[in-house]
Amino acid sequence: MKIDNKSSGDVEIILPVGRLDAPSSEELMKRMEGLIDGGCRKIVANFSGVDYISSSGLRVMLASLKRLRKAGGDLKLARLHPYVRETFEIAGFTQLFEIYDREEEALGEFGRQDLPSR
Amino acid sequence: MAAIIDSVLLTLIEKICVIVVAAYLITRTRSFSEILDGRLTAKNQAVMVLIFGAFSVFGTVSGVEVFGVIANVRDLGPVIGGLVGGPVVGLGASLIGGGYRFLQGGFTGLACSIATILAGSLAGLVYILNRRRFVGVVGAVILSVLFESLHMLLVLLIAEPWQEALIVVRGTAAPMIASNSVGAFIFAMMITNLIRERETAEERDKYFLELEKKKMELNIAREIQQSFLPDTVPQLKGFDLAAASHPAKEVGGDFYDFIPQSDGKMGLVIADVSGKSVPAALFMVLSRATVKASAAGDKTAEEVAKSANDLIAADAKSGMFVTLFYAILDQETRTLRYVNAGHNPPLVLNGKTGDLTLLKTRGIAMGVMEDAEMEEREIELAEGDVVVFYTDGVTEAVDDGLDQFGAERLFETVKKNCHLSAADLVKEITGAVLAFSKGEPQFDDITLMVLKGGKME
Repeated sequence: MKIDNKSSGDVEIILPVGRLDAPSSEELMKRMEGLIDGGCRKIVANFSGVDYISSSGLRVMLASLKRLRKAGGDLKLARLHPYVRETFEIAGFTQLFEIYDREEEALGEFGRQDLPSR
Repeated sequence: MAAIIDSVLLTLIEKICVIVVAAYLITRTRSFSEILDGRLTAKNQAVMVLIFGAFSVFGTVSGVEVFGVIANVRDLGPVIGGLVGGPVVGLGASLIGGGYRFLQGGFTGLACSIATILAGSLAGLVYILNRRRFVGVVGAVILSVLFESLHMLLVLLIAEPWQEALIVVRGTAAPMIASNSVGAFIFAMMITNLIRERETAEERDKYFLELEKKKMELNIAREIQQSFLPDTVPQLKGFDLAAASHPAKEVGGDFYDFIPQSDGKMGLVIADVSGKSVPAALFMVLSRATVKASAAGDKTAEEVAKSANDLIAADAKSGMFVTLFYAILDQETRTLRYVNAGHNPPLVLNGKTGDLTLLKTRGIAMGVMEDAEMEEREIELAEGDVVVFYTDGVTEAVDDGLDQFGAERLFETVKKNCHLSAADLVKEITGAVLAFSKGEPQFDDITLMVLKGGKME
């Protein structure tokens, strides 16, 4: 699986391309763990290139989300294909993840959260 | 003159053929293998000194006389010995070969034996400088040419009278350089092939070991999974029930279960654990036991799901989760009360109208978060209604073009075969999925449970 990533400020944007099945999920897991171990706390997963996600893929996203939230960060999703969104919906994961239509919205949300709230 | 040189070269090459056979035998000895592995011991070095020394003597003996001088491949043994086994082997073998040459006498005796000893020692030095590895084919040939040229130079420098030495060198230089480098080439080819062969064998062994380990893991996972599936399907009053699970090559941790309750109620479970192999199988066992324990006592489907979720969430590490559908069938009132914890919604085919309904509720996969909300709903089941519970292995089965079986095909298969008994319908759907995937290795278990409304009693 091809996995690109780029940075926007302190947010890492990860762009997996292809089917997110058991073998490619392992690759993605390594990338996510690498980012989080490297101190990254804000990740946007742009799923515009993902046309299928298996339960292994969901697990990677869940594991990463749990780690990030525990460390005070977050993982936001953007540009889900209808089929992939349905998989998230069936598992109930849409209650858990913030999902955006556009990558910029997810980035903007991270930016908004950074503003002092008090 | 040219004819003599040609015949000398020919004879030398003939000798080299003998040497090739010897080389083959030498490279297959245990001592040689050990040295190739970089394990130099006193014993294997001694063995190599003797073999390459004898080889050098053979080079001298088998030499061809040119103008009273023997053109030969005496240097080949010590050079190869040094390049493969280091200075001890190179020097040792060259002392034997050079010593033997010295005893043969002649006006070039001293020069020739010194040249051989120098060649063997330098070859051993090259081995050290090359970080204790063989220099390869090209390196060995170039070094052979250099060493033989040095040999000739030494004869010119040391042998007396100078005029005769010059004649000897003129006559033997070309055939000796050629034959020694050809010999080195053949030897080096054999050694590099051997090194490559051994590396490939090592990789292959490692690969097979990994494969064995993986296979064993898969077998363990499959056994765990299969041993925790119910052996029999309970007989129901006014309902027909059947289930089956077809494990993928890499077991995915699907399961189904029947949990008898009081007052003619029956708990039905179908679930899919995230992940693969042994971890998934173990998580399946944990989830199954937790649901079974949570279902004890007269609890509603919602209560069972909530308590099971809290227990599983407390144990779930690294993002493990299980999508689970739990339903309580009341055989008296013919109702099904259910919660859907993130599982593929089972489909209900209305036996009269042929309409399809999906059993969705608001819920989330178990193990994801504690205190999750689990909505409970209810449907009534009439005679001829069919409920198909399944895991994503059914709809996500792929053919060779990675097209999925999909929900639509499942709906069609169920519609077309709704007249069948529950057991036959399970077989029919499994058959349709397997026929669709045409033997493509499936990524996930294919698990099905069918509940069919029978005659009211």
